Amino acid sequence: MTPYRFVPHTADVAAELRAESELGLYQAGVDALRELLVGTSPVRSLEERPIPVRGADPTERLVRFLGDVLYLYDTERFVPDRVSPAGLSGEPFDPARHHALREVKAVTYHGAAVLRDAAGCRATIVFDV
Amino acid sequence: MPQVERIDDYRWRIPRQGGMRTEGLIFADEQLMRDLEGDQAVQQVANVAHLPGIVGPAIAMPDIHWGYGFPIGGVAAFDEAEGVVSPGGVGYDINCGVRLLATPLTLGEARPRLRQLVDALYATIPSGLGASRSDVRLARGDLDQVLRLGARWAVEQGYGDPADLEAIEGNGTLPDADPDCVSDRAKERGKSQLGTVGSGNHFVEVGYVAERHDERVADRLGLGPATVTVFIHSGSRGLGYQVCDDHLDLMLRAAAKYGIALPDKQLCCAPLGSPEGKRYWGAMNAAANYAFANRQLMAHYARRALGTVFGEDTARRTRLVYDVCHNIAKHETHEVSGARTRLCVHRKGATRAFPPGHPELAPQFRDIGQPVLIPGDMGRYSYVLVGTAGAFTETFGSSCHGAGRRLSRHKAKQLARPRNIPMELEAQGILIRAATRATVDEEMPEAYKDVARVVDVVDRAGIGKKVAQLKPVAVVKG
Repeated sequence: MTPYRFVPHTADVAAELRAESELGLYQAGVDALRELLVGTSPVRSLEERPIPVRGADPTERLVRFLGDVLYLYDTERFVPDRVSPAGLSGEPFDPARHHALREVKAVTYHGAAVLRDAAGCRATIVFDV
Repeated sequence: MPQVERIDDYRWRIPRQGGMRTEGLIFADEQLMRDLEGDQAVQQVANVAHLPGIVGPAIAMPDIHWGYGFPIGGVAAFDEAEGVVSPGGVGYDINCGVRLLATPLTLGEARPRLRQLVDALYATIPSGLGASRSDVRLARGDLDQVLRLGARWAVEQGYGDPADLEAIEGNGTLPDADPDCVSDRAKERGKSQLGTVGSGNHFVEVGYVAERHDERVADRLGLGPATVTVFIHSGSRGLGYQVCDDHLDLMLRAAAKYGIALPDKQLCCAPLGSPEGKRYWGAMNAAANYAFANRQLMAHYARRALGTVFGEDTARRTRLVYDVCHNIAKHETHEVSGARTRLCVHRKGATRAFPPGHPELAPQFRDIGQPVLIPGDMGRYSYVLVGTAGAFTETFGSSCHGAGRRLSRHKAKQLARPRNIPMELEAQGILIRAATRATVDEEMPEAYKDVARVVDVVDRAGIGKKVAQLKPVAVVKG
């Protein structure tokens, strides 16, 4: 199963996420977001940051989780790698190893809906860039 | 895709269908409507028409394109008693907007030192991902003053001239701002970004007056033949994004609490008079003031760059033509069914375009109408218009805000990959400075509609009047 793929959107960037579980969907979203932020720059899980899971339903929880990941990048330059039990692991941005590609303003709710099927979970997320 | 009917050469109606409370009205010619096929922009106009308390049609300008929640280019007015306020109707980049400076130079005088000027602008105004200024550090109390006073704070600190304030929408200070409604997270994101461009479609662009459609008004605005101009496009940076994000969470709860059915979660909203609505209102106005201060600082540093290259006299004589919001909601008085009515007008990717005689305009614009600044793409041209009575009666005093994208960023990058866009532009006489190649590729001229076509629809439909066309000669991209 391909965890994420970018799909056409005129002004912003949309990503289709697929995973076997809700937690796997967070990882797929983190992978898509990391590609937007730093491309294929290698990122290591050197440090952890706690991210409390918040939200009334799976869609809200996914959007808020990714919003928190973006906040950590925007304020601490913490580059995301893996979703961890506590929240997120990754490393501080290193200009020698990481190539900053673009600013992502936000993770939006536009058209967002976590759907479940026989293969697991899927969702489409629009990133405001 | 909802059903759409042609009204005339420049207007299209989306009749009420499903849960729509009113019609949709799109300003576009046939070609611009064809550009919308295959995306969700028209559906988004119909979605806006579902919101409670909407007055008149859900409107889209000819630069309409697919956004999130509202379409980009969307305008909707809501009754103050029955209506709602929606962060999705304003956008993440609250008070993203543009300002235009007119220098005392002609293109002939500036051309020999343009390379020095674009380098000075690039060095003086930080751009790109995570841009911040080490020379403008704000203590918490200072930031609250920025949020309260906007451009006035900046002028009081020495960034610009008091006369600048008269040439800014709302004089650069929105009085309903409440810094206490802005979260610590938002303040953290905004504290070091004042006076920076950001990235994406934001820019600082040096251009010149290439054509004057209305010489009398162009003269009044200081836009003589070949006058060199500086266009600045930026907004409320990370602070505004976070304000929107924080309040979407609040508004999702509020929509459920007040029984508001949403066709798209991104349209979540609350009644204007509710505690949730008032809290967003205070925070949104504070973020808008931050954006006014941001552009005021950028203009100050643009003047410093002009001064470094052309001398202090040039910097001193560089005037602010106007500064407009593109993403905002405002309380305004409009005529509805023959009665003067207070409304909350949301403009997302749209520009206020008040007509001559409107009491909210500064005296110097009272007889010509409000300047409307329409940036195009970095390879072709931009426009200056003025507001009209037609806009006031038909679009709640609103006009378009730019060219509007026609290609996705992915498609633009694909097209740009085998080419060298900066070299192509330089061959046309346009110098480019940018933090990354990705931004330049994504923002290539072909990624946008031809803004001349967009502006022609606005002019012919009577919701704005062309004054001058500007052509770019140097662009700093984020």
